[in-house]
Order: sequence, then C-alpha cells, then structure tokens
Amino acid sequence: MNIIIQNLKKSFGEKVAVNIDSFKINSGEILGLVGNNGAGKSTLFRLILDLIKADEGTVHMTDNTRDINVAETEEWKDWTGAYVDDSFLIDYLTPDEYFQFIARISGKDPKELEQFLEKFKHFMADEIIGQKKFIRNLSAGNKQKVGIMAAMLLQPQILILDEPFNFLDPSSQSAIKHLLKKYNEETNATILVSSHNLQHTVDICPRIALLEHGVIIRDIDNKEGQAQAELEDYFEIND
Amino acid sequence: MNKYQLYKLLRKHEDLKVKRHPMFDKNRFMKFLMIFMWLYYAAILIFMGVTMAIGMKGAYNGVAAFHVLDGWFPIVLIIDFWIRFVMQDTPVNQAKPYTLLPIRRSFLMHVYLIRSGFSLGNLYWGFMLVPFGLIAIAVPFGWIKFAGWLFGWWLLCIANGFCYLFVRTLLAKHMAWLVLPVLVHGAVIAAMVLPEHNWLDMPCTALLNSFANWNILSILAVFAVIAVLYYANFLLQNLMVYNEISKKENVEVKNTAKMSYLNRYGQLGEYLKLEVRMKTRNKTPKMQFVMGIGFMLFFSLMMYFTDAYSGGFMKSFICLYNYIFLGLTTLIGVMCHEGNYIDGLMSRRESIYQLLRAKFYFNSFLLIIPPLIMLPLMISGKMSVWMNLGYLFFTVGVIYPILFQMAVYNKDTFPLNQKITGKQGSTIQQILSLVILFLPIGIEKLATLLLGDPWGFILLMCLGIVGVLTHKIWLKNIYQRFMVRRYTNMEGFRASRNS
Repeated sequence: MNIIIQNLKKSFGEKVAVNIDSFKINSGEILGLVGNNGAGKSTLFRLILDLIKADEGTVHMTDNTRDINVAETEEWKDWTGAYVDDSFLIDYLTPDEYFQFIARISGKDPKELEQFLEKFKHFMADEIIGQKKFIRNLSAGNKQKVGIMAAMLLQPQILILDEPFNFLDPSSQSAIKHLLKKYNEETNATILVSSHNLQHTVDICPRIALLEHGVIIRDIDNKEGQAQAELEDYFEIND
Repeated sequence: MNKYQLYKLLRKHEDLKVKRHPMFDKNRFMKFLMIFMWLYYAAILIFMGVTMAIGMKGAYNGVAAFHVLDGWFPIVLIIDFWIRFVMQDTPVNQAKPYTLLPIRRSFLMHVYLIRSGFSLGNLYWGFMLVPFGLIAIAVPFGWIKFAGWLFGWWLLCIANGFCYLFVRTLLAKHMAWLVLPVLVHGAVIAAMVLPEHNWLDMPCTALLNSFANWNILSILAVFAVIAVLYYANFLLQNLMVYNEISKKENVEVKNTAKMSYLNRYGQLGEYLKLEVRMKTRNKTPKMQFVMGIGFMLFFSLMMYFTDAYSGGFMKSFICLYNYIFLGLTTLIGVMCHEGNYIDGLMSRRESIYQLLRAKFYFNSFLLIIPPLIMLPLMISGKMSVWMNLGYLFFTVGVIYPILFQMAVYNKDTFPLNQKITGKQGSTIQQILSLVILFLPIGIEKLATLLLGDPWGFILLMCLGIVGVLTHKIWLKNIYQRFMVRRYTNMEGFRASRNS
C-alpha cells in the first residue's frame, strides 16, 4: 500500500509540529524517519494513524483498487499495524493474553498465533511468553518487544514503528532489524520506522526522510547505504 | 534556601498543580462551572443550616435545636469522612515527587500534614454550621457560646480529616483496610439508629456543649486526640513514602483464568474478557465494586433491621440506588480507564463499539447482585417484587443508555491503580449523577399517581425493556458520536494520562 501525504499541517499553539506539502511512501518501501527531538516524527505517525486531527491536509492509503482517506473511514485499520508508545498496550494483561486478544480481534486462529510466536522466539528470549507477569510489570525493553510484536501480529500491509530500537539490548536491536527486513521481503509491506539510531536506520531503510521543525527537508536515497555520511554531516556527529 | 522559603515553594507547586490541571488549563467554562458547583453546594449547606435551625426549634419537646444537631454530630463527621475520598489527597502522594530530592522527608510530611489540618476544606461545613449556629445559639445564648461551639466543630473536622488520611493511606497498601471505617461507622450508626433512643445522644451533646462553654478540659482532650492522630499519620506516611520508593511489587499473576466460554462470542467475547480483567486486576475499579456492594449491603441491612427507611420515598430510593449504584460509579466515568490505552484501542477497527457492547452486557450481568441482596427484604414484604422488577429493567434499559452517553463526552483518563478515586468527577458527571438518582423516582411516583400501584413499576419495566431491545441501536449511535469527537477525547485522555 502507498501512503500519500498532501498539504499536511499540524501545530500545537505557535509551534509547527508537521508541515508537509506533498510526500509519497511507496508500497513495499521501508522508510526511515530521522530528526532531532521535537522534529515532528511521532506527530507525523499519529497523523498517519488518525490519532490526532490535522489542521489541514490529508493522509491517503492507496493501492490499485483503493484510495482511502484515513480520517474518513476505519477500513485501513484492518491492514495497518503500529506501535508508537505504551499507550498502545493494555498493561493489566499478560503478554500471552494480549497477543491472544489482538489475534482474536484480528481474526487469527490459535494456530496462526502459535506460528507467529514461534518466529519471534529468539527475539523474546524466554522473557515474555509464559512468564505470568502483567505487561505493566515487564521491563521497558520487554514492553517494547510486546508492542512491536502486537503491531506485526495482524500481518499488516502498513507497519508503523516509532523508535523501535529504544530500550532494547544490542542483540534484540539486531534481531528486530532482521525481522523487519525479512517481513518486508516476505510480504512487501510498507514499513515506516523512526529512530535516533542512525546506524540501524541506514542498515534497514533504503529511503530516509530527514525531518526538521515538521518539514521533510531531505528525502535521501539509501539503496547503497550512502545516507550515512549525509546524516552524520547533518547531525554533526563527527565534528 | 531556608525552611520557610521551601515551604512557600511547595505551596506554590500545590497551587500550580490545581491551576494547570489539563481539565481546567484551557477551559474557562469548566473553571466557571466548578466555581458555580462549589457555590451551589455551599448554598445547599446554608439552606440546610437555616431550615434545620428553624425546623428543630422546639420540635423535640422543647430541646434546643443545637442539642438536636449535636446529638447526631457523628453522622455529619461520617459524611465528611467519605466525601473526603473525592476531595483530599494524601501527604504520601503529595510528597512522592520530592522524595529523591535533598529535602528531609520528615519536613515534607510535616508540611503536608499541617496544610491538610489547616485546609479550607475543614471549614466547608461552616456553610451549614454558621447560619445554624447564628439562629440556634448566637441569638438565644450569646456570641461566646456560638464561637466556642463553632471552634469545637472545627477541631472535630480536623480530627476527622486526620482519621481519613490514616485510613486512606492504609487503603493504598491494601483494600481490606476499608473494613476499618465501615465497621467503625457501621457501629456508630447502629448505636444511634438501632436503639429506641440514640445511645450517643448524651455524650455527643455533652461534648459540644462543653465546647460552647469553652471548657478547657474538653478542648485540651480534642487537641490531644488531634496530636495523637497527627503523630500516627506522620509515622504511617513516612513509612509509606519509604515503601513507595523501595517498593517491589509482587509481580506473580495469580488470576489467569482463560474464560474460554466467552470465545464463542468472537470479538465481543474478547472485549468481555477485557472488561472482566480490567475490573478484577486494577485497584480502582476493584475498589469501586467493593464499595458498591458495601453500600448496597449497608442500606439493605438498615432497611431489614430497622424502620429507618420504611417511608415510601426512601424505600424507592434505596431500591433504585441498589440497582444503579454499581453502574453509576463505573459508567459515569465510562472510557476514562480506557484512556490509559486509548491509542491501542483506536488503532483497531470498531473496537470502541465492541467495547461499549461488552460494557453494557457486563454491567447488565452484574445486576443479578442487587436482587440477591434484597431478597430477604422481598421475602419479608418490606419491598415489593414489582418495585425490584421495575427498577431492574429501568436501570438496564433507561439508566444505562443515559449513563453510556458519557462515553461521548468523557476525556479524562482515570488511573487504574491509584488510591480509590484519584480524580474528582467532572461537573457534567456530577450533574448526571444527580439526574440519575432522582429521575426514575420522579417518573415512578408520577406513574403510580396516575396509574396506581404496581402500574408505575410496570411502566418502568416496559420502558426498560424497550431500551434493552434497542441496545444495539443506541450503542451504535453513541459509538458514532464518539468517533465524531474522537480527536478531542483522545487529546484529553493523553493530556490527563499522567497528571
């Protein structure tokens, strides 16, 4: 599915959080979104997910047969998975119960859930399933894992993850990179990932958008990993 | 920074906390309404004070009006105690943000305990007591007696406030502590209501009379009680703050019932499971439920064992109250607990509609409890079966649709595991509560007047059945209106999530 952003504007008081004239994220693309704190990454994700109201403009999800304005219908929720922060988690459930809940309301049968969990076995590292702990009692890293997995559970055509590498240990960061890449290859899903970790972003995203004060100031082609130098230059990492 | 400067800073933070609460920060109308409601309640108290002073004058064989009120003063303190749950925070919670800063914990505790002692809230009953005292004491007995009597009341309110703080702090540790005030207050009320003559009448009257006469021993005795309660609170609050910092929650989940019998209902079944788990695994909803059952039992027992509530209006009121109480406490804040994970819900298609349906079925199912509690009353003939049937169906089919409207307007996240009711209901919630409490009785009385008994109850039952049969339609309508307001509501839920 494509995501088409047109004339999208959102301000909080005087502060402009998002101001994008036109931007298209193509079907099957992994787009990395980078920018300093307050650049508007999370706000853009929330606008795409219809969780906040845009002051102006629209977000459409399109393919050959459909053109859907996310603010006008809920249809897109059937093929969109997202994890932005822990307000996506129902923290008085155990991870097992939460996955069962998501699976069942998404029409997945228990066998599909079992197969899904099997794929993530390494990522979960025996710390999530069967632990008899509520999500609220998990570590920040494990909560993050539950959120990411729940977003992927319905096998979405559009996957949106805000700072997925946060709180994860190095091996889990590496694991999620592989899982996302593999998922994209297998399903041709459109994936949007925001991160402050330039290395991870460059590793998995063939295209990277650089956001500053709500505006996409650069749309960087990273098919050959060439964005690294440009991003390091922008963030003045080696100065 | 010296202690006085620090005290001023802490006081400033407290003021800012109220001023900058997300609910009022950008909402002048809400501020106006809150002030209006505050004045409204004050006016009610003034009215009560004046009418009691005039009404009680000579009503009891020439006994002075203030003696009549004084004889029942524990009732006022009991009401004051329970009202504090929605009005007053504990020093533990107030001190928590500062516990890791280089400020002595004991200093923090003293500041918040002293502030709670001198809180204006302890003077609120003055709206009733001052006009009452002016008419019943100052005019016939002089200003000095009036001042002493009022001063005594104020001291009793301070002591009551410290009792409340003590219990509420214990409640944060374990809900079972609720038994303590329930038993004490139950015993006090029983001692006043069950015997032919109020057993506490004499000592209560004597105590307040001694205040009116500025009896130094009585005043010192109350001061001593306040000092003991202050010190007990100081020790407890200190300990609890320490526990909060070093808290290691028992994270082992005991209740993992799969509730697979709900699987047959598909998506709806999942939301039903969610509702059951929300109610059983979080302190606040659990406490609401326990308190609801407690109130039901209390009033039903009072009715069963005494003639205190044998009047037609009170009978109807208690029966109705027993049916609507659980729904009223939870549905008036419908969606407020879900505010904690609203983004997750909103990213699933029609999840709110399914959730509302689940809430409706769950709350309707809970209505098997009131008839069980009131069964002895029905068997003993103190309450009619028609009344129960009428209110049961009226609650499900008329009251619930009214309460569910709050799903469209609620936008303040309620914490799932904080205290009892960490947040005060909004004005619209308070107004709706009053409407819900008195609307059905009015309809029933009108219907009974026009149609005769039991036709009034049958009318309520029929109205309720219509509501039950059409529940999918009105729930869908609420869901659609919620979706129209979704941005406003989500913004409110987010803003108040951690406030």
